[in-house]
This record gives sequence, structure tokens and C-alpha cells, in this order.
Amino acid sequence: MPAGFEDDTALDDTALDDTALIAAFGGHGIDRDSAAHFRGRLERRLLVHRCDDCGHWHHPPRPMCPACWSWNITPTEVSGRGRIHLLMTLHQGPPAAGVDYADGHPVVTVELAEQPALRFTSTVTADFPADRLEIGTPVTLQWVDRDGTPTPVFGLQEDR
Amino acid sequence: MTNRDPMKDQVAIVGLGSTGFTRDGDESPLAMALRAATEAITDAGLTAADIDGVVATSEPAAKGPEEIAAALGITEATHHTKPSPVAMFSLLDAARAVFSGAADNVLVVTPVVMGPWNSRRAAADPWRAGTRSSILPIPEDATKAAAYAAWASRYIHEYGATKDPFARIAINSRTNAAANPLAAMTEPLSFGMYDAGRMIRDPLNIYDMDLPVDGADAFVLTTAERGRAIAAAQGREPVVIHAATTGIVGKNDEDQLVGLERTGQHVVVDQLRRTSDIWIDDVDLFYPYEGFTIITLAWFENVGFCPPGGAEDFLREHWNDDAQRIEINGRVLVNTHGGSLSEGATRGTGHIREAVHQLRGTAGDRQVADVQSALVTPGGFFFNPQGAILRRG
Ligand SMILES: [Zn+2]
Repeated sequence: MPAGFEDDTALDDTALDDTALIAAFGGHGIDRDSAAHFRGRLERRLLVHRCDDCGHWHHPPRPMCPACWSWNITPTEVSGRGRIHLLMTLHQGPPAAGVDYADGHPVVTVELAEQPALRFTSTVTADFPADRLEIGTPVTLQWVDRDGTPTPVFGLQEDR
Repeated sequence: MTNRDPMKDQVAIVGLGSTGFTRDGDESPLAMALRAATEAITDAGLTAADIDGVVATSEPAAKGPEEIAAALGITEATHHTKPSPVAMFSLLDAARAVFSGAADNVLVVTPVVMGPWNSRRAAADPWRAGTRSSILPIPEDATKAAAYAAWASRYIHEYGATKDPFARIAINSRTNAAANPLAAMTEPLSFGMYDAGRMIRDPLNIYDMDLPVDGADAFVLTTAERGRAIAAAQGREPVVIHAATTGIVGKNDEDQLVGLERTGQHVVVDQLRRTSDIWIDDVDLFYPYEGFTIITLAWFENVGFCPPGGAEDFLREHWNDDAQRIEINGRVLVNTHGGSLSEGATRGTGHIREAVHQLRGTAGDRQVADVQSALVTPGGFFFNPQGAILRRG
């Protein structure tokens, strides 16, 4: 048996198979094109599709680079740093673990440092200071568990 | 980009039907569609045997064109489609079918139905349980239609805007709805009531969002030549589609849209200006979409009534305080039917229906004198911006 096969088997022992991955993220509309991104979440790595040929990032995950039509796409970990670009506070919405609409649930769209207009939408950490919850505030990625699933959220990026 | 517009003034809207809109409906989507459709066909002076095209919509719970055709007893149809919701998708599809000769008399049917995800009353109705839910599975899903509030905060941030122009959009719609027997909400709305409105997606409150309703609109389209004959026989003014388009920018995901300075609304406006002989200095009525009030501010700016960020000053300057409504230069009224915020969330079909009524002189107590043309801009600014100029013809 070739050595590589054993290596693959070892990897498979820790990774969810497709059915389990779909079950874990079914509510997110996961598909073949976004599977790598969601596998990344399980490792607490925020993976964004990046073109190997021209370097362009795009999100949500699609199979081809919209800038150069290359199919050489690699889901690539981003720094998680950025600034709040869009902001709203939900006072009603779908039920979700740990989400209390009575207090208002912030939804932030963060413009990631990697590329202008490359954005990722999530919420903020529970201890995010209310007076810094505004457009322009620098933030950084953190991970929390929602129903036992690693979920990317944003915390305040302390001024340095 | 093309300047070709061989379809200019070549297709007429000859039939209108509407159930009116309500918050406590108890009819099936098919029943509502059929009420509107039979009214529209009759209004056009036609019968089922004359209809050879059926355009339905992919609205949740809506039936397809084959079921509509069967239910209406249409004899045969050579054009039948099911476009996305929002008015111009189906209207343009029907117009192109007529213009191409694919069909002579095309019925457009657009029911809207409150879903269990957007109405507490609907959620308690067992007959709606099977309605396809578009409920957001997670609160932070930006690919669903939730980001208008986020872009509203971006707009406020960029332009230092207050909520005042948002309030004026909502109040204008409510004021106008009071004269519309089809409208779901007709009680007057004041600035104080707006300010106290229950916050839904801060910074947008309940008055900033269109009203889930039950109801249906239907239209019949035919050639301009036949349309003029029908109108003459009925003693009405004929109404034609002078220019119409949809438009998107490539990057239109709700959170990936590059910025408000270039959206599908700009694409729509550019295309209308290429193909229309009429523009905002000439139009008599303006029907901007207001599924969310931020959309309406963008339409005011993007069609050119005011510069980017200028909607607040513009709406204040063109506000009739006695009438509690927008009157552009005292002449151009805005959403005379009450729009999506007060007539109901009809995906823009109400805007088109009302424009046609005004143009042919059948708007009843709301009739504006001597209307020659109307600019109608359904849709938001992500993936469904649309526009049309309708005129007497
Ligand atoms: Zn590329």
C-alpha cells in the first residue's frame, strides 16, 4: 500500500465526511463550492477563495476567479483583520443559539484587510464595547462556539 | 452599451386587475391570482380565448403559468414563463413576447402572500405552513434580503444623514394610501409616530419596511396598435411602455456590493436615459420602490432629482406640509397609491398598476390632472433594480 494512502486515511479520521459537513452547516446553504470554507471553520481558520493566477480574493466562495476566469482557486486563510463597513442591529430574526434579539443582535460586515471591498459578515463578541460598535472601527477575528460549532465573530482590534 | 430600442412605444398595457391588499387574507394564492387575472382580462375587453401568453412569477406559493392557464380555461398559449418576482421581470418578459410576436395578448399574474416567516398572523395559519420559507437560518446571513438596514447605516455614515428623509418616504406613502381603496394601511402616519416606530433592523424600524400582505395584481399586454383600438373603444387613453429595463452590477451580493456610488440602479438609469425621449424634467409622476426606505432615497438620487447624499435636503424642500406628502416642484407626485410601505409589498406591481391607472385616467379620487408620463423604478439595489417609463400613446 503506498504511503500516501495511509496519510490520506489519517486525515480522513479527523475530517467530517461530506454528509456530516452538510449536516453541521446545513442552515448556511453550504454547497460544493463553499465546502472548503466550512471545513476551515471546523479548524477555526477563516478561509476565503483566492486566485492562484492573479491573486484576487472573492467571497462568497465560487469556483472561478471573477477577475481573470482562472479555475486555480485556493481557499486561503485571511488575517481576520479589518474594519466595520456595514452595521445593523437586529431586533427580530431567526432563532439562533446565544442570540437575544431583545437586547438587539449586531450584524457587522467587515471589510477585510486583504483587499478593498472584500467583506465577511458575522456578529461581534459578547464583550464588544457598545461605544465602539460603529462603522470604521478596526476589528479582528475571534472564534466562538454556536451550538458546538466554531463560528467566526469579530472582536475589537485594540489600538496600538 | 446598446442604444437600440426597437420596442419603444410598441407594447401597450390594456388590462389591469387587482384584488386589493390585506393583512388578514384567507384565500389561496391561486384564488387571488385568478381574481386579478379575470379582472385584468375583462378590463382589456378580452376573454380567455384571446389570451395566448401567460407570465406567472416564482414568488413563493405562486402557481406556475400552466396551472394559471388551466384554471382560467385558456385555450392555447404560445408563451408561458415564470420569471423572478419584482414587477419588471414579468412585465418585460410579457412585453418582449408581444413585441417578438411570440404571443398576441399576454397575461401577467403576480400574487403576493404573507409567509410564516414575515407575519405572526401568517405563522398561525395552518394553510401557510407549506409555503416555502425564506427564513434566515442564521441571523448573520448576508446573502438573504437583510442588508438594506446595513447599507442604510452606511448611507447615514457617509452623508451625515438623519432619519428625517426616511420618515418622509414612509409618511408620503401612508398619506397617499388613504385615497387608495386597494391599500392595506391607511391610517395617517406622523413624524412622531415614525420616530416611535418599533425598531426591527436598526437603523430601520417597522415603518421603513414594506408591508407583508395577501393579494394579487394582473396585467394584460398587447401591441400598441391593438392597445389604441381597445382604449378608443373604452373611451380611455392608451398606455404604452416607452422604455423599460432591468439592471445589475456584477458584484451585487448584499455585503459585497462595492458601494452606493455604482449599483444596479445606476445601470437602470443609464439604460433608460439611452432609450427614453422623456426624463425627470418631463415626467408627471414618480414611482420609486420602497421595499425599504433606503432604496427610495437611492432612487431619488440616482435618477438625478438630487446629488448623492442629497435626498434629505431634496425631500425637505419638496415636502408639502399641509398635504403631508412629497410634491416635486409642486407638480410631480410620488407613489400616489401608497407604495409598498402602505398599499402593501406587491414587489412593485402596485407601482406599475397605479401609473397605468393615472395615465389612462382611471385613478378615481387619486387622479392627477393631465398625466402624460410616469417614471417607475421598482426593485432595490442589489440584484433586482428595474425601471420603466410609461406614457400615453
Ligand atoms: Zn484571477
